Amino acid sequence: MTPRASTHPGENIEIAITGRGVVSSIAEGPDAFFDALLDRQSGIVDGGAPCSEFDPETAMTAKAARRSDRYTQLAVCAAAQATAEAGLPGDVDVERLAVLVGTGVGGLKTLEDECRKFIDGGVRAVSPLFVPMMMPNAAAGMIAIELGAHGPGFSVSSACATGSHAIGEAKRMIERGEADVVVAGGTEAAMTPLCMAAFERMGALSRQGISRPFDKRRDGFVMGEGAGVLVLERADFARERGAKIYGYVVGYGASNDAFHMTQPDESGRGAAKAMRAALADAGAEPSDVGYINAHGTSTPYNDRIETLAIHHVFNGGSPPVSSTKSAIGHLLGAAGAVEAVAVLGALARGILPPTLNFGEPDPDCDLDYVPDGPREAPGLELAMSNSFGFGGQNACLAFRKA
Amino acid sequence: MAVTRDEVLEKIRDELESIKVPNAREATPDNTWSDLDVDSLDLVELVKALEDEFAITISDDDLKPIESVGAAIDLTMRLVEEGAPA
Repeated sequence: MTPRASTHPGENIEIAITGRGVVSSIAEGPDAFFDALLDRQSGIVDGGAPCSEFDPETAMTAKAARRSDRYTQLAVCAAAQATAEAGLPGDVDVERLAVLVGTGVGGLKTLEDECRKFIDGGVRAVSPLFVPMMMPNAAAGMIAIELGAHGPGFSVSSACATGSHAIGEAKRMIERGEADVVVAGGTEAAMTPLCMAAFERMGALSRQGISRPFDKRRDGFVMGEGAGVLVLERADFARERGAKIYGYVVGYGASNDAFHMTQPDESGRGAAKAMRAALADAGAEPSDVGYINAHGTSTPYNDRIETLAIHHVFNGGSPPVSSTKSAIGHLLGAAGAVEAVAVLGALARGILPPTLNFGEPDPDCDLDYVPDGPREAPGLELAMSNSFGFGGQNACLAFRKA
Repeated sequence: MAVTRDEVLEKIRDELESIKVPNAREATPDNTWSDLDVDSLDLVELVKALEDEFAITISDDDLKPIESVGAAIDLTMRLVEEGAPA
């Protein structure tokens, strides 16, 4: 790898990942999750990928769980894993400990329940917990309360790019010197009747109920739920306190398609711009990248245009690409954060997770999607993860092996 | 409607239990909200439960000085009595 000048201020600050947490339909916990991906397990049942075994009270009191929408419960559990792994708060100055956990849509179950109660029973029927449960910053707030984190805290929201934007913005927050340690990620629990109906009406959901990214037969995404949370911190700080480092966040790039609220720009220019910006931030060349964890939703549009964008950036030299959504469906605001955990697993173990359900190649999707994986990748040093959200908002992250 | 103190206490325990307050069943009239870790949002739910159960209306002014289970029982008893036909 030939490093060149980074384009971003704070370039000399190395940012380590010292904690990882995942709640998904195939596993809870980062190592179990990556093992399940390598084992080609699928969490998709009847066209959806719910976290059926999830019990919020493993990480929260019964009272805190009752006061939280499912999207917050998932995030608190993922954060509990990540912060335990990182040994937080430990010796960390809680005044410089931040929480930046986002969601695409917030507490939809709560919103639906309370709307129904309001229509049926009027004002008195509405729960006083409605707002603090539904609001999209509730997960970040609850994690900060559990952790006693007094640094900056808020939610970012960019639909299906939320998790990646959160991690990228956490990187920036540390670079700007606003925090030493940031608990960052994304969470989503949008498998509610109203939301499922809306995505179905939009034509975004797979009618076959199969997530088969980049396959010619793909016909939409499969909805999943879950949360992914990472602990990011200054690497010098992590080493000083003796924290184990699971990888480094070395690049973050973001862009707008500025084209359409739900369709990606046909030219792939927005996606390509985010990837190029992440590479520039990492001070890396395309040829340094050994793996891309795709946005890979299994919609006809995304997978074709993402492929095109990768061609623009890698100019015929694309590394292998795979989609975690083939196993756990689309986690919307949690997707980028959960997929970051998959990328860290690939880097740490030198193995690429597969794209499941890939059988019929599409001439418009002509990259190596690791359909036969898992695949050994012993020299893997640098990997990227793409996330593209409704609204045309794109984020790309680059991670380096520890 | 005749209501006993024990009936009101039981209703309070039921509601505290349903909103997952720890050790709700052991709540006594002497316990303050602070003892039970009951906050303002819990109180909104408790008030609604008492209003629905005993057909009373608890105003914000009524509620302000109420800081314990015993005081909530007293208030409920008084409002039930005031509402009862002469």
